[in-house]
Amino acid sequence: MGKQKLSGHKGGGGDGMTFQDLILNLSRFWAEEGCVLALPYDLEVGAGTMCPETFLRVLGPAPWRVAYVQPSRRPADGRYGENPNRLLKHTQMQVILKPPPDDVQDVYLRSLEFLGIDLRQHDIRFEEDNWEAPTLGAGGIGWQVVLDGLEITQFTYFQQCGGMGLDPVSVELTYGLERIAAFLQAQDSVYDIKWDATRTYGDLRREEELELSIYDFEGADSTPLWDLFKLYESEAKGILGPYEMLKQGGQAERVALRKAFEYCLKCSHIFNILDARGVVSVTERVSLIGRVRRIACSVAEYFLDREAEAREARQA
Amino acid sequence: MKEARPLSLLVEIGCEEIPARFLGEATREFGARIERALAAAHLLAGEVEGNVAASTLDVQAHSTPRRLIAYVPALLAVQPDQVEEITGPPVRVAFDAAGKHTRAAESFAEKNRVPLHALIRKTTPKGEYVAVRRTVAGRPALDLLKEILPAATLGLAWPKSMVWVGKQSFVRPIRWILALLGEGKSARAVPFEIAGVRAGNQTFGHRSYTSRPIPVAGFKDYLKKLAKARVEIHPEARRDRIKSQVKVLLENLKLTPVEDRELEDWSVNSTEWPHPILGGFDPRFLALPREILVAVMRGHQKYFAVEDREGKLQPRFIAVVNLDSDSSGFIRSGHERVLLARFRDAEFFWQADQRRPLGDRTEALKNVTYQAELGTYAEKVERMVCLTHAIVELARAAGLTVDADAVVRAAKLSKCDLTTQMVREFPELQGVVGGIYARAQTEGEEVAQAIYDHYRPMGLEDRVPRTLAGAVVSLADKVDSVAAGFAIGREPSGSSDPFALRRQANGAIKVLLELSIPIPLRPVVERALAQLDVKWQAPREEVFGRVMEFFAERLAFYLETAKGLGFDTVRAVLAAGWEVPCDALRRAEALEAIRGSEDFKALSAAAKRIKNILSKSAEEADWTPGEVSLELLRDEPERRLFEEFSAARAETKSFAEAGDYMAALGRIARLRPAVDLFFDKVLVMAEDRAVRANRLRLLGGLDGLCSSIADFALMAGEGKATK
Repeated sequence: MGKQKLSGHKGGGGDGMTFQDLILNLSRFWAEEGCVLALPYDLEVGAGTMCPETFLRVLGPAPWRVAYVQPSRRPADGRYGENPNRLLKHTQMQVILKPPPDDVQDVYLRSLEFLGIDLRQHDIRFEEDNWEAPTLGAGGIGWQVVLDGLEITQFTYFQQCGGMGLDPVSVELTYGLERIAAFLQAQDSVYDIKWDATRTYGDLRREEELELSIYDFEGADSTPLWDLFKLYESEAKGILGPYEMLKQGGQAERVALRKAFEYCLKCSHIFNILDARGVVSVTERVSLIGRVRRIACSVAEYFLDREAEAREARQA
Repeated sequence: MKEARPLSLLVEIGCEEIPARFLGEATREFGARIERALAAAHLLAGEVEGNVAASTLDVQAHSTPRRLIAYVPALLAVQPDQVEEITGPPVRVAFDAAGKHTRAAESFAEKNRVPLHALIRKTTPKGEYVAVRRTVAGRPALDLLKEILPAATLGLAWPKSMVWVGKQSFVRPIRWILALLGEGKSARAVPFEIAGVRAGNQTFGHRSYTSRPIPVAGFKDYLKKLAKARVEIHPEARRDRIKSQVKVLLENLKLTPVEDRELEDWSVNSTEWPHPILGGFDPRFLALPREILVAVMRGHQKYFAVEDREGKLQPRFIAVVNLDSDSSGFIRSGHERVLLARFRDAEFFWQADQRRPLGDRTEALKNVTYQAELGTYAEKVERMVCLTHAIVELARAAGLTVDADAVVRAAKLSKCDLTTQMVREFPELQGVVGGIYARAQTEGEEVAQAIYDHYRPMGLEDRVPRTLAGAVVSLADKVDSVAAGFAIGREPSGSSDPFALRRQANGAIKVLLELSIPIPLRPVVERALAQLDVKWQAPREEVFGRVMEFFAERLAFYLETAKGLGFDTVRAVLAAGWEVPCDALRRAEALEAIRGSEDFKALSAAAKRIKNILSKSAEEADWTPGEVSLELLRDEPERRLFEEFSAARAETKSFAEAGDYMAALGRIARLRPAVDLFFDKVLVMAEDRAVRANRLRLLGGLDGLCSSIADFALMAGEGKATK
């Protein structure tokens, strides 16, 4: 099928848009909507939600708009670069709108039109889908946005983060970029997506998928992973430990909360690898999730606490 | 109060997409809540005369995923005046001995701002009181609706709701509200607000076609404008549209969609303007099992599968889209591409899963939780295997032929599919996938079918396992679930049944009854409890009693609901014992057939009389059960009854042993003339103690006979009693 026909649009940059043009266009769209274009986070994360630009900034009352591309890892989805639709590391475009505008759905739909998708030529549906990230004590209510049968975005009203109810709530939009690019380019396999005019997604990423899959499914003995988990966990706890004490001395800002959170993310990632390998028993699973969540919740709690104090100080 | 013409009311709550699975119930509830509130406010025109029944159809409720709609054709513009009575102190307190108003009466009058002479007297069941009667002028509907409409909307109970601004929670954000009282130029918007959204006279169309607000001047105008904006507000009209268009798509091809009411509901409740399209897929995928293909199409993609007139699956599908056409064909090709990817995934799962046969997956079940308090599936399977041994023994003792090896093998492998990628992807295919894999892995047809069927029946309508082996595994699974659930205190109560134990127990009963498996339940339950290693919430003996009581209740439910047997038939049969549930069914069917006969009716009346005599007239000291003494039988009628009874007892026993309960009951019923004669001529409570005791023993024997197949005394007197 002709790509030009597929998107059936005028302007907006469709035309079998390359992967990098997709990133550029979405970034431009959201920057024009007032979002900060943040950088991808430099740690392994399971989803854009886990980055501090989301996890920490959705807490508390301060308004916030951000968009960023985030490579996200799901070890269990690894397919050795063989499956045309599943990736161990896929690419999300994460958008946070806090508080969300009343016409947030329309704004989102305009972003699709900006990509050249004609809403009268395609079937767009908002199908119930609520997500939960138990390791982060986070969850939300919303939909998966389905375009001609293809899930392209997770659209969520964030309700809880770090175990805390949110006020105001944020809307979180998570675009699955590979799927959208495959749709725009009418490709059956993500590896055939054009990254730019000459190189494909497969050229850039297939080997990486293979290697990550090999390690995560078959790699070194799981013992070092367990050790790492414990090390990261104790490091996080070590950082958070003195918070209450330092707070008394008015030096709470000296606590490296974001560093503790990074170790929390590392624990979460290691847990995902162990889980993908099938070496986590049922009871261990519950307890490991609980351990990661406790760190995440402490970070959220201290972060809010510190923000509130800073606000008070400003007002005083 | 001047009479005003009734007005119409149109309310539309505009929402972001409401989950399809909530919409049907929410629509009904929305209409009902508004109707109740309007009725309580005496605003329904049909209710002017106090005729509540006439008002039941006064509110029409409709919906789409983006709107809840209520339309009231005739509403009073102003509430009728209401006479209100406020009761004050008793008359004896309100007046003194001289008949003058006391201080109590004065302060009551003052409080209600009326002069003393306006106080009236009122007689109540508690005595005479003073009271104030006044006429309260009816309020305008517009005023009342300001309170009624937000309350009716926000009072809706959603299985899951959310917040979006402030603290207000609802299923999804409310984005507009249309609330119009009256039609045409005189129509007025009802002024109220929910979560910062002001009600007005505007609606919105289908989001792909229009984005501007649409002003509305009444219900007809609303319907016309929404139809133009591609919104069909009647769910049933959307259903008809889907059905008729599907027919057009498939008729010439001589194909039909695979029936799926749930999917149809979903399609109706997830679209504002449904349009089915026909797509296809590569026939090579037909090599995958039908169950998997259908699950991919329905579960992930919400497509209807398509089959030919012989029921053979075709490489086509129906997708219901939310647009008025797919003129460019983009949508069809998009869906086809997605389905291709899904089928490739399924193919991948199938191949990957085969690399590790079910038999090698038992170890992995240790990592799959059954219930947090009940451990893993590995433990559950171990318990199921033990139970299948017990059930097989019982079945053999009852004369059935069972392949014990196949049953045990099937039980061992029954849950292994939970570790496959296919079931992780399609949880609804548990069991089915196991069965299909077992066949592919040459486990033998008996084993494969037993695994495939062992979750069945999943509801009262669902079919039972096809084979006895499947039935045994199914029973072991269900009895274990019920026993374990009760042991940890998760038994059902009222509407709460966290482990769906009613369904499990109903399933076990259905299997025993529909497959006529004549085994007792008691030893199976005993075994199931004895092997549990859990945190007991009550002593085991007590749990055992509750589980048996629960099964008895489920058996009664099944006999009444699924079998349509009379309430008292079931009660009478179960009172005579239900050790072997399928035997109870046979007795109940026989009893139901014979209960209408004259002899039987008379005899059950006599049985009641006998019971009364034994339990009420006779004292404990009067007699002890035992053999009747021939010598002490003085009168001819009692001798005759004794002879008849002895003969009937012997014959009934042999009929019952042969399972011919009709004949057995018929034989008992033939005792009627002898019993009638006995009661006619013989005084049971004779002066002579020995004679009296002997007569009581005879009646005791009769009572035993009349309670052996069913307790006749529990039968309702006349005709067929229903619940």
